[in-house]
Amino acid sequence: MIPSDTKGRVLVAMSGGVDSSVAAALLVEQGYDVVGATMKLFCYGDDVPDRPCCSLDSINDARRVCERLGVPHYVLNLEDRFGHDVVRDFVDEYARGRTPIPCVRCNTFTKFRDLLRTADLVDADSIATGHYARVRDGALYRGLDPSKDQTYFLWGVERRVLRRMLLPVGGLTKAETRAVARRLGLAVVADKVESQDICFVPDGDHTKVIRRTLGDDAPSLARGPILTLDGRVVGEHDGHARFTVGQRRGLPGGFAEPMYVVAIRPSERAVVVGPREALLGRGVVAREVNWLAEPPAVGAEVRVQVRHRARAVPATLVRADAGEVELALAEPVAAITPGQSLVLYAGGEGDDEDVGQRVLGGGVIEAAVGARRSLPVLAA
Amino acid sequence: MPAPPPVYLDHAATTPVRPEVRAAMEPFYGPQFGNPSSAHRWGRAARAALDEARERLAACLGARPDEVAFTSGGTESDNLAVLGAWRARRDPSRRAVVSTPVEHKAVLAAVHCAAAEGAEARLLPVSGDGVVGDADGAIRGDVAVCSVMWVNNETGVVQPVPALAARARAAGAVFHTDAVQAFGKVHVDVRETPVDLLTLSGHKLGAPKGVGALYVRRGTALAPLFHGGAQDRGRRPGTENVAYAVALTVAAEMTLAEAEAEHARLSRLRDALEGAILAGVPNAVVHGAASARAPHVTNVSVPGVDGAALLLALDLHGVAASGGSACQTGNPEPSHVLLAMGVEPSLAASAVRLSVGALTTPACVERVGALFPRLVEKARAAAAAGPVW
Repeated sequence: MIPSDTKGRVLVAMSGGVDSSVAAALLVEQGYDVVGATMKLFCYGDDVPDRPCCSLDSINDARRVCERLGVPHYVLNLEDRFGHDVVRDFVDEYARGRTPIPCVRCNTFTKFRDLLRTADLVDADSIATGHYARVRDGALYRGLDPSKDQTYFLWGVERRVLRRMLLPVGGLTKAETRAVARRLGLAVVADKVESQDICFVPDGDHTKVIRRTLGDDAPSLARGPILTLDGRVVGEHDGHARFTVGQRRGLPGGFAEPMYVVAIRPSERAVVVGPREALLGRGVVAREVNWLAEPPAVGAEVRVQVRHRARAVPATLVRADAGEVELALAEPVAAITPGQSLVLYAGGEGDDEDVGQRVLGGGVIEAAVGARRSLPVLAA
Repeated sequence: MPAPPPVYLDHAATTPVRPEVRAAMEPFYGPQFGNPSSAHRWGRAARAALDEARERLAACLGARPDEVAFTSGGTESDNLAVLGAWRARRDPSRRAVVSTPVEHKAVLAAVHCAAAEGAEARLLPVSGDGVVGDADGAIRGDVAVCSVMWVNNETGVVQPVPALAARARAAGAVFHTDAVQAFGKVHVDVRETPVDLLTLSGHKLGAPKGVGALYVRRGTALAPLFHGGAQDRGRRPGTENVAYAVALTVAAEMTLAEAEAEHARLSRLRDALEGAILAGVPNAVVHGAASARAPHVTNVSVPGVDGAALLLALDLHGVAASGGSACQTGNPEPSHVLLAMGVEPSLAASAVRLSVGALTTPACVERVGALFPRLVEKARAAAAAGPVW
């Protein structure tokens, strides 16, 4: 039974970290009927040592926080769904020569779809997370702390879900979040070291996940040539999945100017390198587009971001078909990478609070459109 | 409208301590604090209480007092039985340890441990209805220890322990049964059933958590798990917990005194609960329904509904149940018991165990019987919403 004297029930996705713990605590303070849930998403098995974000310890931390807050806590096993929707796609994207962002798909499918079903089952009006982003009147905005903003990972959430999302720490800085944790006595999590890695990638080495899923003979981990843009073989690599566009590490030296990965061609198992100028794109094409606002018309001025923490640049929408968009960038942008996200923010000038803050939508980058159209950026 | 009181349907996980048990323990937290190994009057008083507890618990099992060892609970008793008997034997011509894939983890992990010490682990087959058998003649002359639980903790299925124990005896093997869920639910008497070792747990009977016993038939060699003093003939060194020994004994006696009436009452409650669930959710599956079952457990799967989510929803409505064994919480994997019975993993993942007991009234059953189908309906609606893309 939902107590009638509260603001309604909210299911809080709790990782055991400080952000989602504080999110839950703030909602309790605000009078919500909070139910905590920790999703068990993957299991390394016995071969990988404990890591703070995946082990039973994080479940225990989340439970301790809920005990402290006096709210129920549950563990939900979403391993199968997560394995299919997130981990498998992650591995497949690398096989296609792309650089995926599993967090986007986890938010889209796991947190704000699968977990939402649990919310329905328990009569929870809303679902809350510890993301640094803000939701107002069914619209998504960047987190107030620009250095922590996580909207880049949230563009895939279904638009109608926004009205059921609560993001209580989106208006705080990380330091404020930690301060709230200490004020509320959540010592367990207040000073926890932040994990920057992808949660299911042990030691930050994603090739282990590929190997575990596809075996030692995964083509994306096989030896292949390093080519220049004009097709000269200048070296060998031991797996194109170890590379991403813009990378320098792992490339041979001895060139007149610094060389970067500019493309990956899985059909030839080739990593293509070129000088910095070859990395620059003047446009970008994205697919699997999801809109979180009324879709802008062709010709609309927006701002776009092509990497987490990259600066958003002004852009013009030049094409919008079913599920696919193309944008012309007002200035060249380096290392536009297939598989990463393209996120569109409200554009224009002036002091409209939406400008650069409101998320209009996003998609998965298919290709950069370069000054040199012949750039082999398109994945096979 | 005030929320109705919560309903506890998880008696297979644990039961409340009986008031009589609390009262019986009380003196040992007060004036009778002595150490039973001391020779003075405080020690003698404690020793007398412990001796009496041992005699009375032995009587509950049809055993002799020296055949009862008090332990810290079911897990210790299971480990002492399986590993103790395996280690005491050390016979190269008897290397097999026989058990079943539906045992409690305390037995399975002990068998695993014995295997690491050189035993050949041999698991008996299980039918789709959850009954263990020995059609292949696995219990034969090379078996050191055989351990088969009497009543399964997840399904309530009663195993053919008397037949299997007789077989083990004929083969010269030591036979252990985990009777944690069986005591008070089926007729347990070691004079009639040729078991050599038998596990009891206090907190399933209305005693506190942390006390159990192991019946050890005279002549059964057992290597101790702990090393220390000579308490309990060296089988279980460590200062005896007199209060808990008394608690277990009082709880066991009360359980037996009410066994017949409780069997009838719990059967009615369980059947009513199952009936209501099946009426409201016609495609629900009751695991082990075709087998002889103890009266307190029902294990139900609803195809297409996630069991963990259903439990969460039940709990938020004030109804306590569990998915399989309470010991698995925090690790919501499909039940190894159901998987061993050949239940599809997706159906196993939807299983919910409801167990009736001391706190259960017809009103509880009525409420849950009405609520369960409603929540299933909701869970199905949520699942049918389909993927966004």
